[in-house]
Amino acid sequence: MGLFDKLAGWLGLKKKEVNVLCLGLDNSGKTTIINKLKPSNAQTQDIVPTIGFNIEKFKTSSLSFTVFDMSGQGRYRNLWEHYYKEGQAIIFVIDSADKLRMVVAKEELDTLLNHPDVKHRRVPILFFANKMDVREALSSVKVSQLLCLENIKDKPWHICASDALRGEGLPEGVDWLQGRVVNSIVLKSKSIVSLH
Amino acid sequence: MSSGTEMNAESSKWLDAHYDPVANLYTFSSCIDLADLNGDGENRLVIGDLGTGSSNMKLKVYRGTALMNESTLLDLPTGLVSFLMDLHEPRIPAIAVASGPFIYVYKNLRPYFKFTLPSLEINALEQDVWQQAREGQIDPLALKELLEGIRDTADVPLSVRSLRYLGLETQDMEEFVSLHKQQPIRRQTVITCIGTLKKSSADEDGVSCLVIGTESNDVYILDPEAFTILSKLSLPSAPTMMDVTGQFDVEFRITVACRNGNIYILRRESSKPKYCIELSSHPVGLVRVGKNVVVGCAEERLYGFTQKGKKLWTAQLPAPITTMATMDLPTRGFQAVLVGLANCEVHLYRDKNLVSTIKSPDVVTGLRFGRYGREDGALVMTTKGGGLAVKILKRTAAFDERDAAPGPPPAQSVRLNVPKKTKLYVDQTLREREHATAMHRAFQMDLSRVRLAAAQAYVRALEASLTPMSANPAAPLKLNAVVQGLGPAFKLTLNVQNTAASRPILNLTVSFLYDGGLYSMRTPYFRIPLLVPGLVYPFETLVECTSDKGISDVIKVFVLHDGKTAPLLTAHINMPVSEGLALE
Repeated sequence: MGLFDKLAGWLGLKKKEVNVLCLGLDNSGKTTIINKLKPSNAQTQDIVPTIGFNIEKFKTSSLSFTVFDMSGQGRYRNLWEHYYKEGQAIIFVIDSADKLRMVVAKEELDTLLNHPDVKHRRVPILFFANKMDVREALSSVKVSQLLCLENIKDKPWHICASDALRGEGLPEGVDWLQGRVVNSIVLKSKSIVSLH
Repeated sequence: MSSGTEMNAESSKWLDAHYDPVANLYTFSSCIDLADLNGDGENRLVIGDLGTGSSNMKLKVYRGTALMNESTLLDLPTGLVSFLMDLHEPRIPAIAVASGPFIYVYKNLRPYFKFTLPSLEINALEQDVWQQAREGQIDPLALKELLEGIRDTADVPLSVRSLRYLGLETQDMEEFVSLHKQQPIRRQTVITCIGTLKKSSADEDGVSCLVIGTESNDVYILDPEAFTILSKLSLPSAPTMMDVTGQFDVEFRITVACRNGNIYILRRESSKPKYCIELSSHPVGLVRVGKNVVVGCAEERLYGFTQKGKKLWTAQLPAPITTMATMDLPTRGFQAVLVGLANCEVHLYRDKNLVSTIKSPDVVTGLRFGRYGREDGALVMTTKGGGLAVKILKRTAAFDERDAAPGPPPAQSVRLNVPKKTKLYVDQTLREREHATAMHRAFQMDLSRVRLAAAQAYVRALEASLTPMSANPAAPLKLNAVVQGLGPAFKLTLNVQNTAASRPILNLTVSFLYDGGLYSMRTPYFRIPLLVPGLVYPFETLVECTSDKGISDVIKVFVLHDGKTAPLLTAHINMPVSEGLALE
């Protein structure tokens, strides 16, 4: 880090970097959501199934997000756990129209929450009940019921209905996530100060 | 959730994705298929519903948990398959529904083509008779009599029309004849089973031919585009179930379970069966796993056969089989057989080993494993009560190689910790191997010497009458002695028994021999009265130890006979140390 960067950091000009994991089943819309969050000149037109994972970056008013956009295909899901340590926040995307695989999403979520790298950390989790544009899509309340989100007691979480194709619901979710992350940074720096 | 450990083990393998107990489905495994009907990578569930069995037959298409499309079928479906019939883009499979003598082909869920089986040879006599009826030469009753005659004697069976006519009441005959006499008679067979066979490429998306088995003991292979008969194979009996593998242009194998209880294996080269498997009871399920054929029989057994018909294994089942299906997961290299049982369970067998049991709320009558929606490991089950259940195999599910059924305990196969062979052991073994004869001889010599010494000692004892048992046949006696007391006074009890069968013994005396410096005895010599056979006579005498040195000696007892110098019996009594004296 150069002197200028440090200076910028002190002055609050440089934005704090946050690593975010984007998880969810295949075809739930992870890449589409991340694509929509990028500045409009960096967005791509055609989204293809992700192989392995992609790293994307986007900025909000106070934070700079580095997103690990993981592939949701069954054979790549075992890669997820290797990145749990780095993730300071998690975005979990659900295809609200795929009722059949809601159990699979729940199973993957439970595996995530019980993983030793996640279990004892207060990682904020943002859920996107995606594909609200599809006619038979379930409501975000119904999705949160099916996934038993009320059982998550030790982590801040939030569920957002979204339509990633048109970008609806995404800003709301990201605002919440930003608030949570900033909050935890402030808390951490406070505790460091009090230790000194 | 469930409390039993077995149920927990199962819930760790399967997720309950969907269960509708009142889906109003009446179908079997042969009428269920999974296919990507829209070309969007999402498989639909296609079901040929038998309705009530006589009406309301439907072709139903499910997407996810919801019924997406429904169209009426004209007749009962006997089989349903999806297949790619051409190379047009997008690659959307067609659906073939077999019912009666027809195959209805649907594309994009719309009727596309109807294939009719070729009609069979007609009895010339029958045709003649109907010709006469048409011209009015014979009346309905005569027609009936003639047809009955033909039915009983002719080689070629009657047509359906004649058979129906024979079953009519007399008053209905006139009308039936006038209604049907103008049409030519036809004899048709019906389809019993249907399958698909790749035409020339083994790829997943290769064009497939339809393979159909008919009631007339034939198997037809149809061209996928023109629906012409490419090949006709004949069987000794009517086929009921079929498994097809290979490619039509290269090499194929059709395994057919027939109504006569045999399984025939047809190959490309010959139109007659190549191999035959004769089963002990009727087959109720036939699936292929890899290169082997697994057959479920009516006697609640599962058999594994090679593709040449050699039996590999047998597994006993707890209940009758209702249906069977293969479970093929190429991404994990896992292949197994799903067996639906009448006790509301679905068993998963990998070879003869039961690797998983799924409990169902109702008897499962239709099974299909494959890609449904976007999930590769989906298991579709339909139940006797009309329910539809979808289970999804967990990503983390692992199947034990080991048999879940009870067998020998695992401890049996644990190797014992046998110590290594030492140098001494090896040397000894070598020596034994080299000098085996000499060692054997030395051993035999020593053994003979021991025997000789033992025999000599025995003879000596007998000669000196040293034993407490008399060997004299004239006076068989038994003696034992008991010493009581702590000393210096002891009581000596002699128990004498006559062991003869009936003769009493007379004129016996007892004498003691002892060291006079150590002991004194009140009666060192006494006579024994007559000994009645069998009874034990106790004789008591008192011994006093006169020494105060705390030593003991042996007192010898002799049983003597009047007029003989050698004693009959001798007993040695080891006297205890006199403790009473030592205390003083």
